Amino acid sequence: MNGAHTLAPGLPDGVHDSQQAFRAVLDALARPGQVRLIGPALPGVDLGGALARLLLSLGDDETPVWWQRADAGLQHWLRFHTGAPLAERPDAASFAVLLDSAQMPSLADFAAGTAASPEFSSTVFMELPDLAGGPTLEWIGPGIQSVQRVGLQGLPADFWAQWQANHAAFPQGVDIVFTCGDKALGLPRTTRVRRLEGV
Amino acid sequence: MTSDRLPDPHRARPAWLAVLARATLTQLQAQAPAADALPTLQQVRPPEIGMVMLRGRVGGTGNPFNLGEASVVRCAVRLGDGPLGVSYALGRCKRRAELAALFDALLQDPQHHDRLQRALIAPLALAQAQSRAQQQRDVAGSKVEFFTFVRGEA
Repeated sequence: MNGAHTLAPGLPDGVHDSQQAFRAVLDALARPGQVRLIGPALPGVDLGGALARLLLSLGDDETPVWWQRADAGLQHWLRFHTGAPLAERPDAASFAVLLDSAQMPSLADFAAGTAASPEFSSTVFMELPDLAGGPTLEWIGPGIQSVQRVGLQGLPADFWAQWQANHAAFPQGVDIVFTCGDKALGLPRTTRVRRLEGV
Repeated sequence: MTSDRLPDPHRARPAWLAVLARATLTQLQAQAPAADALPTLQQVRPPEIGMVMLRGRVGGTGNPFNLGEASVVRCAVRLGDGPLGVSYALGRCKRRAELAALFDALLQDPQHHDRLQRALIAPLALAQAQSRAQQQRDVAGSKVEFFTFVRGEA
């Protein structure tokens, strides 16, 4: 029972909290670039509230999770509450947890699904220092009325070039949910990103 | 089931967990400590009801088959900074699973282990063994031995 002493509780109200988080992240991916509130941090869990709640709500025994930073306590916590196994490699993961966006692996390292089954791709959760205030970009695509301006902070310089390749691979490719504290913002593979002039 | 009699420390916990899983709510409540006598109780996993698939084997040793589903309650609690107590119990009684998990946590604590082992686990294990033996005796009377005379081929 290694790490049992640090094992933190899961969602306070399992049924309703997970339904709420599920609805919110569904909405976040349906309306790319719009911030959605997921919920406050969980006591004893060293993760942002949104990230922790999404992992508990979406994970189960059929969704391997890949952690950028192996933390035995967190891994044990998620395993205990959801039964989600650990993925050894990013391309074996249903969900990937990135806590250090500056050191993130390439988006191409994650599972992109197949042309026949694009749903077997990874969904990447990335914790950022802030979901606004960074260099502003224009997002267009399904779920966006005309154009959505988003200024994410803390992304590596070559991220948007990688994203372009990911978008071009449609219907394959990864979907990203950026989180910061109790909030989340979706970037599905269908979204096209355009840099504003002068940025 | 044979582990009830083994004193090996690695077998002790499965043994008391098995006894607690079979104990009734009344039996557990009779020994329940007063809430204020304990450190704060943290519910790491509040009691939750789910289903398990019961599997059997044909003739006790043959191919496994699914017998049917049964409801089960599970629970995990921690007392203060102490060890984690877990429980699984057939049925839908949340309080019973909660108490069983509480006793598992207390039994892992050297301070309470001996007293509880004496006052709770030993009598329950004895009663459960007796009732099992009684049931085995009851059904043994209706046992039918099937045998045929060997025919020529053998």
